[in-house]
Amino acid sequence: MNADYAGLFNALQPEAHLVLGALLVLGFDMVWARHRPANRHHVALALGLLALALAGWKAAATGNTGLVFGGVLLIDALTVATRVGVITLAGLALCLLPPPSRLRHPAEFVALVLFATTGFTLMAAANQLLIVFLAVELASLSLYVLTGFDKTRPESAEAALKYFLFGGMAAAFLLFGFSLLYGLTGSLDLGTIASQLALQRLSPLLLVALGMVLVAFGFKAAAAPFHLWAPDVYQGAPAPAAALIASASKLAGLVVFTRLLWPGLGSAVGTIAHTPVTLGWGPVVALIAGASLLLGNLGALAQSNVRRLLAYSAIAHAGALLLGVIAAGRLGVAPLYYYAATYGLATVGAFGVLAVLEATGPAQKLTDLAGLHRRSPLLAGCLAVFVLSLAGIPPLAGFFGKFAVFAAVLRLGGLSGPAGWLALLAIALSAVALYYYLLILKQALVAKPAADAAPVKVPLPAACALLISAALLVILGVFPSLILGLF
Amino acid sequence: MTLSVQHLWLIPALPLAAAAIGALTPRNGRTLAAGVAIGAMAGSFLLACLALAGALADPAAHHTFNFDWFDLGFGALRLGFLLDPLTAFMGVMVSFVSLLIFIFSTGYMKEDANYKQFFCFLSLFAAAMLGLVVANSLLLLFVCWELVGLASYLLIGFWFHKPSAAAAAKKAFITTRIGDLGFLLGLLWLQDTQGTLLFYDGGAGFLEPAALTSLSTLLPCGLAISSAIGLLIFCGAVGKSGQFPLHVWLPDAMEGPTPVSALIHAATMVAAGVFLIARVYPLMAADQALAAVPVHALTVVAFIGAITALLGALIACAQNDIKRILAFSTVSQLGYMMLALGVGSWVAAIFHLLTHAFFKALLFLGAGSVIHAAHHEQDIRALGGLSKKMKITYVTFAIGTMALVGVPLFFSGFWSKEAILHAAHGWEVSQLPFYAALLGVVLTAFYNTRLMAETFFGTPRSDGAGHAHENGPAMTIPLVILAAGAVLLSLVNLPTYPWLQARLLGLHEVHGHPLSEGAGLMGLSVVLVALGIGAGWALYGRSLRPNASAPDPLAARLPGLFAALAHRLGFDELYAATVGRLNAGLASLATFLDHFVWDGLIRLLAALGEFSGFVSRETDERTLNGGFDATSGRLRGAGQAYSRAQTGGAHGYLRTLALGFVLLLILAVLGGAR
Repeated sequence: MNADYAGLFNALQPEAHLVLGALLVLGFDMVWARHRPANRHHVALALGLLALALAGWKAAATGNTGLVFGGVLLIDALTVATRVGVITLAGLALCLLPPPSRLRHPAEFVALVLFATTGFTLMAAANQLLIVFLAVELASLSLYVLTGFDKTRPESAEAALKYFLFGGMAAAFLLFGFSLLYGLTGSLDLGTIASQLALQRLSPLLLVALGMVLVAFGFKAAAAPFHLWAPDVYQGAPAPAAALIASASKLAGLVVFTRLLWPGLGSAVGTIAHTPVTLGWGPVVALIAGASLLLGNLGALAQSNVRRLLAYSAIAHAGALLLGVIAAGRLGVAPLYYYAATYGLATVGAFGVLAVLEATGPAQKLTDLAGLHRRSPLLAGCLAVFVLSLAGIPPLAGFFGKFAVFAAVLRLGGLSGPAGWLALLAIALSAVALYYYLLILKQALVAKPAADAAPVKVPLPAACALLISAALLVILGVFPSLILGLF
Repeated sequence: MTLSVQHLWLIPALPLAAAAIGALTPRNGRTLAAGVAIGAMAGSFLLACLALAGALADPAAHHTFNFDWFDLGFGALRLGFLLDPLTAFMGVMVSFVSLLIFIFSTGYMKEDANYKQFFCFLSLFAAAMLGLVVANSLLLLFVCWELVGLASYLLIGFWFHKPSAAAAAKKAFITTRIGDLGFLLGLLWLQDTQGTLLFYDGGAGFLEPAALTSLSTLLPCGLAISSAIGLLIFCGAVGKSGQFPLHVWLPDAMEGPTPVSALIHAATMVAAGVFLIARVYPLMAADQALAAVPVHALTVVAFIGAITALLGALIACAQNDIKRILAFSTVSQLGYMMLALGVGSWVAAIFHLLTHAFFKALLFLGAGSVIHAAHHEQDIRALGGLSKKMKITYVTFAIGTMALVGVPLFFSGFWSKEAILHAAHGWEVSQLPFYAALLGVVLTAFYNTRLMAETFFGTPRSDGAGHAHENGPAMTIPLVILAAGAVLLSLVNLPTYPWLQARLLGLHEVHGHPLSEGAGLMGLSVVLVALGIGAGWALYGRSLRPNASAPDPLAARLPGLFAALAHRLGFDELYAATVGRLNAGLASLATFLDHFVWDGLIRLLAALGEFSGFVSRETDERTLNGGFDATSGRLRGAGQAYSRAQTGGAHGYLRTLALGFVLLLILAVLGGAR
């Protein structure tokens, strides 16, 4: 390995900015802001957003330098897009910072968000098993703490514990799978692993390793049957943390696992389009996708809690995103990235609306949304954009995401293969999904407000985040090539 | 420092952003809305100046920036921006006049409750108009064209509680849509034959030689394709620029607030038709080389322009509303521009467009100043004696009038009109348009003298005029600046040094010729102007009107003609009797068919349907519908059953994780073993 430290430093500039930003937020809070409780929140938020902005700028300015530091990192178009995407989503989520009454330590919260974002950007660039694991763990550990940050609610602590237990198990599986891969190929480098695997037959050991990696993958993407944590965590976590888990974490996770599966383990894919089935991770991912689509959409039908409903919708979307992963190998990552990024925007927005509502009263049940159009037309309008985008109604970005992914899957081998019926299943379940999405909108736009409902005042950062997300969803929906053309 | 073509979109984007901010501002955010609108317009003006500097550095080049909008089956639909001297001059003029009118509006609309909405609409209009100017694609131009139409509709009907304003807005929108239908057809035809709607695209645009050659083929009817498409596009220009026979909407559009009349219905939007024809001039002129065609596209343009120029001037002589007189004058002047285009001198048309924008905006704002001061009295018979009360308005209005009339040497309108007359005189096809234009010159001088005499001289003939006093600086400063423009603009294109002409034609050197060359024609037009002013003064100036109800001197001498002109030669009645009645007849026919024929059929079908429905309901409820309900119910039941499986116990979750892993392995192995 030739030690190109300058190149490494250059490639890791966004991460450096994020970490420095986090330390700065903590230090500033300790030295100055904690004695000025009135400004403590604003200072932490402003510094955090500044760090994210600088990191985002650095991430966008880094060119496609290719392999860095002997292949430890890979900076290509996907890396740049993913870094910018996760940083944008993290910034939007950060704008939803709970009010001082709900959050006594804003600086720690912001710093943890920045650390988690560091993990996400590192996931986007990772090209070696150890870096993958480190990045995933950095992100996960920050997210566990963020989930349990709201000490005023026992649900938060419960969710954090469940998330941590589940995540710990998944990490164990992932590390075990990686060690088996290392044992099989003698390398941690994805390129070397790929060239070694191409020479081997599919051994049972490799199958076990693949299965273990996929368990971790399923956990990260909240795909069935590894999704059980999602409803509890989405329900209990503070809104920004839930938004981050649902958006940036998902985007980064999908990108890093797509990297791992296609360039790394691509030779072990098995069949994805045509019968008879041959062994590999392809059919397994297809099964996970189908199960997620079914369980997510069915589970969402019965929910009366908005956050749990969003969690099940996330599981269903995970299924559709896995279809994008299946198609990514032959048709490129553009549809997958587009879907994941725009889904993240819509989810951050939906959680943003809930976060604003939570500051004024309960916002858990569907009926808590009743009469939102009277209480705050801005919130109701934005919520309509987000929910309709999640449901996939044109011209919003959610529609083109679904369209691009389904079209890519159908181009793999028409309707005849497993991927074909998965696409059909996904399209049919989209109709089912419309039902529960419209339940949200019915409460928000049609139902009358409760007698004691007061108008909602939207804080400025949250209003900005909501408007930006909604505007991006519309713009990206009208000009999908802004993203699809990047790759 | 110059603005490159890649950043040209900023010019329309600034007012568009201002419109968005204005739309989101609460109703009491008056200062914010106006401030943002004026600031954005000033920014656009600066950018347009930078763009002009860039365009003048290389006047012969058409800088373009094209991009794919979206992919369709046959390829990509492309839009783009274009920077050349024509775009740049138009951009500077539009943004500058808009800026002044925005400032004027802060004074004029001060008491209006919907003040912030007004600025929102104005900004939207300015954005669309500037977008139209910088477009390098007929499609983008068309989109902006429709948007200015929409903004015009919104602004004419701004006082929508007045029934006349609402009707005028509707009339303007529908009448221009008739022309736009032709425009759209031409656009589709062009896309069909050429596969592109870009003006310039490095040789592949439809205004470039390759495309023009292929467009010069003849159709079975004898026209060249280019003439047919050009004439269809010209339909749009006829509607938008108030040309005969679609001129009827423009005078009614004066129901809108006066700044709107100045900006949209005098200086910019109505000139868009002229700009459009100048922009696609290579297409319009592509059939000039073909001898066998029955009619050249430009010949039609020239005759329509001449008819409009004469007609507008005639009708203006017998109007009594100060804004209507100016409106018909606008119709007439736009006719002059079309005439110049038709006889082949598009540069003279654009020169007149620019000078006209200044002096006509000035006249309208002056009229607005008068109306505002005279408590919304618009009838010139009831005004009078304002020259002493409103000195600034009086002097600037007089300058505008002299520019419009074409008082020699010191006023821009004289030089631009001279250029048009010169071009019309040199046209080989026919001299008729030239004579029409000469007659128009006399009439223009006549009705403007009448307007000045009735409005500013004599004694006030109503309470409003009696209590009038000069307006504040927000209204007078734009007047002064526009008046300066109306005088100074002549300097850019004197016959001895035709700088504008050279730059528009893409030349670096300026070739002037001595004044003596066109002296005969110039002398003739000076004599005609003097004749018109003399006649007007003899009738209206010598013996000033004693009171508002005294008869009009011209009506006393030529009662029949005056009545016909006062009724605008019956065009509105004609259209109401023909097109309107045809429309109404078709509507009643449709109602008849709907009520008796179709309805009867439908009742019959309904009876059949009811019967078959009755038969099928039983089966339906048991199978299809019941099946669907059962499926839905089962889906929901499955969801509920499944959500009961989500117990909330962490150990159960972890067990599922491990089980899932084992399950996956088993499935994979089974699948592989098959």
